[in-house]
Amino acid sequence: MKGFSKKLVALALGAIALTGLGAQAYPDKAIQVVVPAGAGGDTDVNCRIVGKYLEKELGQPIVVVNVNGGGGTLGSRKVKDSAPDGYTALFYHPSMFLNQMMGLVDYGFSDFENAGIAVMDNTNIFVVSASSPYKNLQDLIKAAKANPGKIKFATETGGFTHLQILAFQAETGVQFNIVDVGAAAQKIVALLGRQVDAIGISYGIIKDYVTSNKFRVIGVESDARNPLIPEVATFKEQGVNISFPKFFYYLFPKGTPQAVINKFDAALAKVAADPALKAELNKFMVDPVYIAPAEAIKYMNAQQATYFNYKDLILNAKTTKEEVKK
Amino acid sequence: MLEMFAAGFQAAFTLHSVLMIVLGVFIGIIFGCIPGLTTTMAVALCIPLTFGMPPTVAMSLLMGLYVGGTSGGLISAILINIPGTPASVATCWDGHPLAARGEAGKALGVGVFYSFLGTLFSIAALVFIAPPLADFALQFWPSEYFALALFSLTMVGTLAGKQLAKGIAVGLLGMALAFVGTAPIDAIPRFTFGFHELDGGFDILPALIGLFAVAEILNVAEKDVELKKSEVLMSFKMKGLGFSMKEFVGQTWNMIRSALIGIGIGILPGIGAGTSNIVSYGVAKSQSKHPEKFGTGIIDGVVASETASCSTIGGAIVPLLTLGIPGDTVTAMILGGLMIHGLQPGPLLFIQNGPVVYGIFIALLIANFVMLAMEFFGIRIFARLLSVPKYILLPIIFALCAVGAFGLNNRVFDVWVVLFFGVLGYVLQKLKFPTSPIILGIILGPMAETNFRRGLQMTNGDFLQFFTRPITDVFLLATVLMIVLTGLSHIRDKKKEVAAGA
Repeated sequence: MKGFSKKLVALALGAIALTGLGAQAYPDKAIQVVVPAGAGGDTDVNCRIVGKYLEKELGQPIVVVNVNGGGGTLGSRKVKDSAPDGYTALFYHPSMFLNQMMGLVDYGFSDFENAGIAVMDNTNIFVVSASSPYKNLQDLIKAAKANPGKIKFATETGGFTHLQILAFQAETGVQFNIVDVGAAAQKIVALLGRQVDAIGISYGIIKDYVTSNKFRVIGVESDARNPLIPEVATFKEQGVNISFPKFFYYLFPKGTPQAVINKFDAALAKVAADPALKAELNKFMVDPVYIAPAEAIKYMNAQQATYFNYKDLILNAKTTKEEVKK
Repeated sequence: MLEMFAAGFQAAFTLHSVLMIVLGVFIGIIFGCIPGLTTTMAVALCIPLTFGMPPTVAMSLLMGLYVGGTSGGLISAILINIPGTPASVATCWDGHPLAARGEAGKALGVGVFYSFLGTLFSIAALVFIAPPLADFALQFWPSEYFALALFSLTMVGTLAGKQLAKGIAVGLLGMALAFVGTAPIDAIPRFTFGFHELDGGFDILPALIGLFAVAEILNVAEKDVELKKSEVLMSFKMKGLGFSMKEFVGQTWNMIRSALIGIGIGILPGIGAGTSNIVSYGVAKSQSKHPEKFGTGIIDGVVASETASCSTIGGAIVPLLTLGIPGDTVTAMILGGLMIHGLQPGPLLFIQNGPVVYGIFIALLIANFVMLAMEFFGIRIFARLLSVPKYILLPIIFALCAVGAFGLNNRVFDVWVVLFFGVLGYVLQKLKFPTSPIILGIILGPMAETNFRRGLQMTNGDFLQFFTRPITDVFLLATVLMIVLTGLSHIRDKKKEVAAGA
């Protein structure tokens, strides 16, 4: 709702400019970028920051439209069903794979036109309380081996962090008590109130708790150490062979003219190289990247394959919970 | 602490800040009193305006909006029986009957003054005991939330009054409607019948606008066909705040209890003023010596609702500033506003940005006084605004409701939800069902379900472990007591009826 006024403007603009468009003229009106999440979250913030720079490059307003609900499916479906004219785009992250895997939607990223990856977040971490006995991943693994199903790990079922902990279990052969506590803010509350033993979250939103010595970070799921948090060891260094970068990409509805995508993509390539954008994104612990559509499709296919390795695990997790309910 | 206050005072008591507070309260009241437009929207629209301002000035504007918006809903609730925001739903129930008797001035005076007191109470709590309050909020695990939701659901019995069976039916209908959409925890779509638009369920705001605004519009449309100038209620004589010292003293305990309920609900993340005003009204009614008078236009109801909804303000800011966790949707917006200015709410905010934090406290305080002055002196003007003939006013409100619903998530679907709930509310009223329990069902049903399941996950499926937590036990016990007492009083009433009939 943050861009409410902008949205009204965009609607007005949209109504005026519904006539035919040539790709040469693209863009000649505001471009709506749908964020399938609420205002103020990481997807929203990243989209708004990159959008600010794209606006300058494309010479037309980029209007961020928050379409929250249904675990991100309402937003992605809205874009999928939009006119393929280049004026509606989706800005999303790997949860789209999960939406498909869990059967919430019957389409994936390949049912859209890919316009490239723009932002990379390598700050997905496991966190424990500062007073916890676990100093690193091996401590956590040992404890979980000694007490199978007892160590409580907080996540949001069906979300990005849920997949991470399932992959972690599969990789290390331990069993946690995986509990749902809700979104990021609720995870912080759960850890502060000692409801749970560990949480999976991104670094940016808990860094003050690390500084004030309330939380301890025990590992980051990136291929190499993140220069923004060099003191945190990767999972791979600690003998757990998983890595889940969170990447943010643009998709257009299927059938959007290639010329339009090229124009958008060229702008994206330019802003990604802008040091001012880097500085601004770094404040939120993420980095601008530019991966062109062809490369992005390859990369995302590989990532999707990794995710689908854990498909049975995540679906089984669901059924066990239903059994508990009975 | 005193020097911090001095620094905060210095920061917030500049001309620039005070002007922004006045502007904020003004815009807030406008958004608050127009049904369909909410405080959350006012904050969302104004955040971009704050980009160029220094942090304290920016926060002054936002605090003004928050206070003005939360309180402003009482005006339309009392004058046209449509809550301006979810925070003043319960204010309608006694405020409007009071106004309809020709005592609009008194109703508004009471509403405004207790809004002020509620806010004042909560600011005091915020300033003096924020850290222990935040710790208290951390004691709430899923089992506590579950028990609290269950307890609050017993208010259905109180709100339904004599129509207990109909009230329960409607409350269950609300819960059933809330089941639609993606299930909590396992994210399976339920009761969507293959309509993808329903994947996200019914949002609370369109449901509320429909039930209370659209249903009321339909109601009036049916009655006032002769297009006469609406009889709003200009005939009031205002002396002071419209109520006597004796009435004020008589409300003392009601006010304190309502303020505590408001602060308590405010500090809990996830529920806010939209819940506290209804729960507080329910508690006031059940504790009252004359519960049968509630709904007929007594000040007790207005006091309970307005004190609680406004004292939620200070409560919701406690976890926002101390933990970085928003207590309701408005504070979620304000959190975004703080972060834009490089202020990360959380454990370090008080240490790193003390002056800004105390600046926020002072700004809240000033905003509260501005709100009192503006609403008190503006009552006549507001009343005139709303005394526009209803055949002009209500269609405009109808349109604004649709705009408000659309603005929530940029979906036309939400506009249809408003209409659906509007017709539902109207039909239920025709069939003499009380509509208030639906809202409790819609808000509290999912809260109970989600937290029940989360609690079971924590205990590996063992419900008995819920009873090992004292706060949970207190709420569960209170729930049982409420049910037994409601049941007994109904049996007593029925016996009386039978005896009288015989």
